[in-house]
Amino acid sequence: RALRRYVLCEVVSEDPRCRQCIEDRAVGLAVRDAIGRVHGDYGLACCSISFTVKYLNAYTGTVLLRCRKDSYRLLCSALPFVRQLESRAQRYPCILNTLHVGGTIRTCQKFLIQYNRRQLLMLLQNCTNEEERRCIQKSLLSCSIAEEQSQSGDEEDDDGTE
Amino acid sequence: LTFPVGYSAVALNHVIDFKEKKQEIVKPVSPSELFPSLPVVQGTSKRIKVLTRLTLVVSDPSHCNLLRSTSANIRLYDIIAVFPKTEKLFHIACTTLDVDLVCINVTEKLPFYFRRPPVNMAIDRGIYFELLYTPAIKDSTMRRYTISNAISLMQICKGKNIVISSAAERPLELRGPYDVANLGLLFGLSEGEAKAAVSTNCRATMLHGETRKSACGVVYTVKKPRKVEEEETTLPACKKAKTQA
Repeated sequence: RALRRYVLCEVVSEDPRCRQCIEDRAVGLAVRDAIGRVHGDYGLACCSISFTVKYLNAYTGTVLLRCRKDSYRLLCSALPFVRQLESRAQRYPCILNTLHVGGTIRTCQKFLIQYNRRQLLMLLQNCTNEEERRCIQKSLLSCSIAEEQSQSGDEEDDDGTE
Repeated sequence: LTFPVGYSAVALNHVIDFKEKKQEIVKPVSPSELFPSLPVVQGTSKRIKVLTRLTLVVSDPSHCNLLRSTSANIRLYDIIAVFPKTEKLFHIACTTLDVDLVCINVTEKLPFYFRRPPVNMAIDRGIYFELLYTPAIKDSTMRRYTISNAISLMQICKGKNIVISSAAERPLELRGPYDVANLGLLFGLSEGEAKAAVSTNCRATMLHGETRKSACGVVYTVKKPRKVEEEETTLPACKKAKTQA
């Protein structure tokens, strides 16, 4: 039975333009490069057996990676060594912050919903505009597993308050 | 720049190197001068606690006299760390010096090997060994030295009393607590020890610093259940706590 681990991480960067170059190929290359630097050829080979970027959200910078259960420790220990993202001949320094490691996509999804809800609550505290306040409150009330897609539109407030 | 990485307390470091001419210990910069408003801890509504910390780079036994002197400025720092450069100084730091942390060099091959007796004495005294991880992120040769020094330390101290911290000069050199615990796995710690190295050991170092400042002891008050019938209900909670720890 093919056991997998799903690693949920967040891309944190000082440069707001970095968000534009978050795409699956760029992130995959950056992670593979970090694994190669830290664990060498053996680590790279082990981790890339079933390695893909499953989900990407450029607005919040959330990335979901998949790897084999046998090699998830190699992957997790190499994630702190990711220093930059490259795409279309632009490189931006950034860091990957690991949020959660789960065995199925569903557990990661549940964690992500709770995490986003907490982030929205924090944004609510820092809101200055009444309009933004209403938007955030509406999206908070509509958080649930079935409606996860509707969150990505309201999370554009993230770029505004940073 | 509110950097949401998830720490609840931060210590600002001030390094004193004795190789240069006589340096005086300056008063620590108050955190309120550096940050106009302290950022809030992610997830709670408390502000991040900022502590001040002093690191003494000692390469000569005479430098240690500074610690013994009753200079008023030393008492103002919350945490005191020492960075020994020779075996003798390492021994002195572990056994007699009044510090909270002993820094382990990660940027070059250690000139001395760790021996068990001073390390065990340090563990008994409540002194923690500190490893830095930012050089490992920046440079490949530093990474090798970091890992080899860390593993040789682990073999002697069996993973106890380790604190992993960053010597970050820029915000992009920081890593979140989960990631730092994963780095601990690279250094040879087990998973529980790695998580403790980021959380409980750091808290214990803070308490140790407080103890040293107040010079008597720290009293930690915990609410105890008074009534007998309440003890029955708290028992399953204790069992749960044991299995979680």
